Amino acid sequence: MTQEVVKKEQAKEVIFSPYTDILEKEDGFYIFMDLPGVEKDSLELDLKENELEIKAKTSWSKPEKTKDVHLEFVPGYFKREFTLSDIVDKDKIKANLKNGVLSLFLPKAEKAKPKKIQITAE
Amino acid sequence: MVIDFETFYNFPRQFDRLFDEFLRPNIISQKRTAYPPINIYEDEENIYVYAELPGMDISKIDLTITDGSLVLKGEKSPEQGTYYRQERPCGIFQRVINLNVPIDVDKVKAKMKNGILEVVLPKTVESKTKKIKIEA
Repeated sequence: MTQEVVKKEQAKEVIFSPYTDILEKEDGFYIFMDLPGVEKDSLELDLKENELEIKAKTSWSKPEKTKDVHLEFVPGYFKREFTLSDIVDKDKIKANLKNGVLSLFLPKAEKAKPKKIQITAE
Repeated sequence: MVIDFETFYNFPRQFDRLFDEFLRPNIISQKRTAYPPINIYEDEENIYVYAELPGMDISKIDLTITDGSLVLKGEKSPEQGTYYRQERPCGIFQRVINLNVPIDVDKVKAKMKNGILEVVLPKTVESKTKKIKIEA
């Protein structure tokens, strides 16, 4: 007599931390994030005080009724947070999502740029 | 300077993620050293190859079929600037996918959407399974 063991499949949410490059150019800081398969309508950018949070969900799916032969990536969610320093001018942050890459431009605040102080002679 | 505190304050979460990595379903390839990540699906009519290539210019991707293999080559050039953190892969990449059935090369279609390259390779008519009649 065989006994069947029933396995309960838990649908777990897969959350990835996306590959990110942070660099500085002359005009400010740039953050590039790899978000393959993400469309603009599923991307969320939240700025709370100094915390910048990025959340996204992939929109691709495997072709219908196909057999999995080899898998190296799966659909899921992306989530990552960054703490911005005061040098960044938060009102002027620009974001662009193109071809699965999120580009964030973080300009430096005017007051952070070095200002010359005038010396008057007494 | 932009500071990322994630690595310091999320220590318990890092541990959870470490265990999640090991407990993932076996069908996902453990070796993630090859770039780009590739998925292969199959049905009666076609073989489907999906690759994660965000930010790749279509003109910089070289996709060819040679001798029963699909070859995906290209170069991802990094942005110019002073880097504080680099995680995104860059440089020249190449992956060879062996096709175990004959493919109708002229009907292969590829498209790039949101950084995911989707290639559809139709199988030749002869290689589709045909029912064999057994004569009494």
